[in-house]
Amino acid sequence: MSLTVFEGLQSEIYVPLTPKSIFTPVKKELKDMRVALVSAAGVHLKKDKRFNLAGDTSYRQVPDDTPVSDLMVSHGGYDNTDANRDINCMFPIERLHDLVKEGFIKESAPVHYTFMGGGGNQKVFHNETGPVIAKKLVAENVDAVVLTAG
Amino acid sequence: MQRAIEEAGIPTILIAALPPVVRQNGSPRAVAPRVPMGANAGEPHNIEMQMNILRDTLRCLKEIQTPGKIVPLPYEYIAHI
Repeated sequence: MSLTVFEGLQSEIYVPLTPKSIFTPVKKELKDMRVALVSAAGVHLKKDKRFNLAGDTSYRQVPDDTPVSDLMVSHGGYDNTDANRDINCMFPIERLHDLVKEGFIKESAPVHYTFMGGGGNQKVFHNETGPVIAKKLVAENVDAVVLTAG
Repeated sequence: MQRAIEEAGIPTILIAALPPVVRQNGSPRAVAPRVPMGANAGEPHNIEMQMNILRDTLRCLKEIQTPGKIVPLPYEYIAHI
């Protein structure tokens, strides 16, 4: 029996296209890992330039020893109230340090990276900003990254 | 962003408030506590919830074997803002 094939036949129902999967296996134990945070929540140092709320593909660096009182949010895509009350609810840097103290992970990375998601040119994020941050994380011997976004 | 980091060879996991968006964008690994946008990592000043979310997130990083998997986490925060 042969199947009937119609060249170029398309469904009239729109289906979402999901990008090809990407997956890097985990090799280390959690207790041996250096972990970095990367957040799309628009967190940055108070002295840094604010993100452009209409769309911004730039990124900011947050050194690991930054006190949370020096951090703020500029993001036009979500209600910032909770993050302003406690930055850890979008950027759990103090909790990460707590897990290091517990011995659950080995250490936090020297620098964490932030940007403003939910807007901006996705191509630039994927082809420029993303690889730049990824390269820095690799250079800083980061074993795993926890993101907050979406 | 997550995909770019994963492409560079570092395993990643995302804490999401909007799991359908995350699925659509092809996230390699994600967790989804029951939280609103703006408090992905847990209720403000609720250290216990934030610790549990981050700890479970890291456990899932280790446990997830299938690309695109989104694991629901049993923590709920309803914002009154």
